[in-house]
Amino acid sequence: MYKMDILKMAYKNLWRRKVRTFLTVLGVLIGTTSIVVMLSLGIGLNEAQRRNMERWGSLNQIEIYSGVNFDDKGNPIGQANPLNDEAVKEIKAMPGVVAVSPGFNMGGRALWGRKEGHLQLVGIEPAQMPQFEFELAKGRFLEDGDRFNIVLGWEVGRNFRDRRQLEMMRNMSRQSRIMMRQQMREQEPETLEMLNQRVTMEVHNRNGQKKIYNFTVVGVLSQENRDKSWQAYAPIDEIKRIREYVMGGRNNNDPRMAREMAVKEGGRATRVSSGRQVNGPSPNDYEFIWVRTENVDATKKISKALRDKGYRAHSLADNLEGIEKTSKTIQAILGGIGSITLLVAALGIINTMIMSIYERTREIGIMKVIGASFFDVRMLFLTEAGLIGLLGGFFGLGLSYGASKVINHFGSDFINRGMPPGEAANSLSVIPPWLALFALGFSILIGVIAGLYPANRAVRLSPISAIRNE
Amino acid sequence: MTPIIEVKNLIKKYRVGTEIITALNGVNLQIAKGEFIAIVGTSGSGKSTLLNMMSGLERPTKGEIWINNTLLNKVKEKDMATFRRNYMGFVFQSFNLLPSLTALENAVLPLILQGTGKKERSKRGREILKMLGLEKRILNKPTQMSGGQQQRVSIARALINNPKIIFADEPTGNLDTKTTKEIMDLLTTTTKEKGQTLVMVTHDRDVARYADRIIHMVDGMIINEEEKGGAVVNEKVN
Ligand SMILES: Nc1ncnc2c1ncn2[C@@H]1O[C@H](COP(=O)(O)OP(=O)(O)O)[C@@H](O)[C@H]1O
Ligand SMILES: [Mg+2]
Repeated sequence: MYKMDILKMAYKNLWRRKVRTFLTVLGVLIGTTSIVVMLSLGIGLNEAQRRNMERWGSLNQIEIYSGVNFDDKGNPIGQANPLNDEAVKEIKAMPGVVAVSPGFNMGGRALWGRKEGHLQLVGIEPAQMPQFEFELAKGRFLEDGDRFNIVLGWEVGRNFRDRRQLEMMRNMSRQSRIMMRQQMREQEPETLEMLNQRVTMEVHNRNGQKKIYNFTVVGVLSQENRDKSWQAYAPIDEIKRIREYVMGGRNNNDPRMAREMAVKEGGRATRVSSGRQVNGPSPNDYEFIWVRTENVDATKKISKALRDKGYRAHSLADNLEGIEKTSKTIQAILGGIGSITLLVAALGIINTMIMSIYERTREIGIMKVIGASFFDVRMLFLTEAGLIGLLGGFFGLGLSYGASKVINHFGSDFINRGMPPGEAANSLSVIPPWLALFALGFSILIGVIAGLYPANRAVRLSPISAIRNE
Repeated sequence: MTPIIEVKNLIKKYRVGTEIITALNGVNLQIAKGEFIAIVGTSGSGKSTLLNMMSGLERPTKGEIWINNTLLNKVKEKDMATFRRNYMGFVFQSFNLLPSLTALENAVLPLILQGTGKKERSKRGREILKMLGLEKRILNKPTQMSGGQQQRVSIARALINNPKIIFADEPTGNLDTKTTKEIMDLLTTTTKEKGQTLVMVTHDRDVARYADRIIHMVDGMIINEEEKGGAVVNEKVN
């Protein structure tokens, strides 16, 4: 028998018992709707949480710091692994790692035209910059070969104030100082104005010497990079050299040099450097290492692996596990509630199909006498049951979309409470395409499974006793 | 020539509660290809049971049934429907049409089950319904037709597949005399034309007279056979 003919016949049989078919479909419809809506709430919750986290940084990034490791209770448990080229090499080799950049931090006063401010410089591998989910508002990223080029975070410009105004403020009364501050806040320069301009940094070293470094702004990061908005990014090699200058010379990790410095500085440097040397890490070690991973799952795994190795590794994704576990539990509960409704609907299908077999005993008998195979009879009944499932699933999905709209219309205030205006609004109920497909597939499956027992009964029906009741 | 149907020592017993009913008590029968056999006897003599055994609708308690050199006892239940579809057509006293289907759809049901294409089966269905004088009833449901018309549809259904054997259990039982004659004429001419074997159960002597050979049954046994023209061929006396 052709599939098309079976389908047609099944459709006809359902159509013949319109009311009963309708009621059974209604059951599946309600079941599907309750499952989809329940799951959509769970998914909406999950997405909202994840988006909330992503606003604070990337989930594909791990940051490793030098320093001391702490246990769960916050007690120090010893020096973390030193961050040197060895460490960079080791991390780069880990599966799931896309890019690695070591870095230094360095801050200082800086001048930009007539304005003065603080510049927090972060030295990173220039070529790796595009890998770390920076977004540019304007200009370009750092590139290989860049020397005194920097890329600014969105808010950096707000650090700079007119020098004369600052001078004036120092000599003012409290009252007018507050007024002045207010006024200056209104005049805060846009960071974008700094693009392609020169920023000068004056650096003093321990020997009392000073050096002027001129940087050119080649790019400004987008507003979206919230966690990076107050920093400026520079090529790591320059920052390293500036640090070395500040520390008082290229070989300040050399004990002789340190001793020499100690004499000049009155012992201050000795405490610092000798203290470090005893504990292992050298002042030439990096301050941090950034790791970019393939995806969130890799982040979680690598972050944990790094901690196990003795690194001080942190990632936003570390917190994700607990949150996801909670929302998975919530989803399971919601889905479970929905499933009960669908289970009841499945019983409805079984009931309808068995009743229809009683009514059609004679017909089934005739078809079997005429030559309907076991397969044909089974397929016919499974198709009828599956069609009920499909219809219920299809219209249930339609109703779900409607219900989801209504929920979001009335419930969006609730979930978006406390969100900054202009942020993409989160939805309480989200029906992703996979859920729609799953709902359709699942309702058909439920129909077919519910049809198994009735279909078997129809198959086992003896043709002769079916047609004998004349 | 080997017979197309051969029944050897067929015994069928039914258990009803604690009682055992012997519906067939050792039946032997050979039917040649193209033959028209009528089985007559009083009600309860085992005619229908014999027919159902030969068409594989029921399993014998003992004995063998050969259809076209196949031992029917050995055909699995799963394959029986296909076997019937390929070799047999059926006509019943109560027509047994599917009430939701039109005359055309009922007539071509075996073709649908067989997996014949839509065009082909529509063509063949219309042809045969026309031959049976039903060209105006093609789209009617069974309830919109008279008994004679319904029986003609069921004959169309039995013939559409060109089966080697047609089994008819009291095909005229529900029809008036005039319609009975029409139906019998139709059945005889069409089956003879195609050389099909027709096995018919009836208790109407006039209807039986159409057959090449009449088999008389009493209490689950064949008591005599009668060739066309009235000659008693093989009288068995118990
Ligand atoms: N399924 C059955 N269960 C019990 N007894 C049956 C069954 N089918 C037939 N019989 C009995 O077998 C005998 C023959 O029946 P049947 O072949 O229908 O007779 P006929 O067709 O000649 O009127 C009858 O006594 C009938 O009651
Ligand atoms: Mg009978």
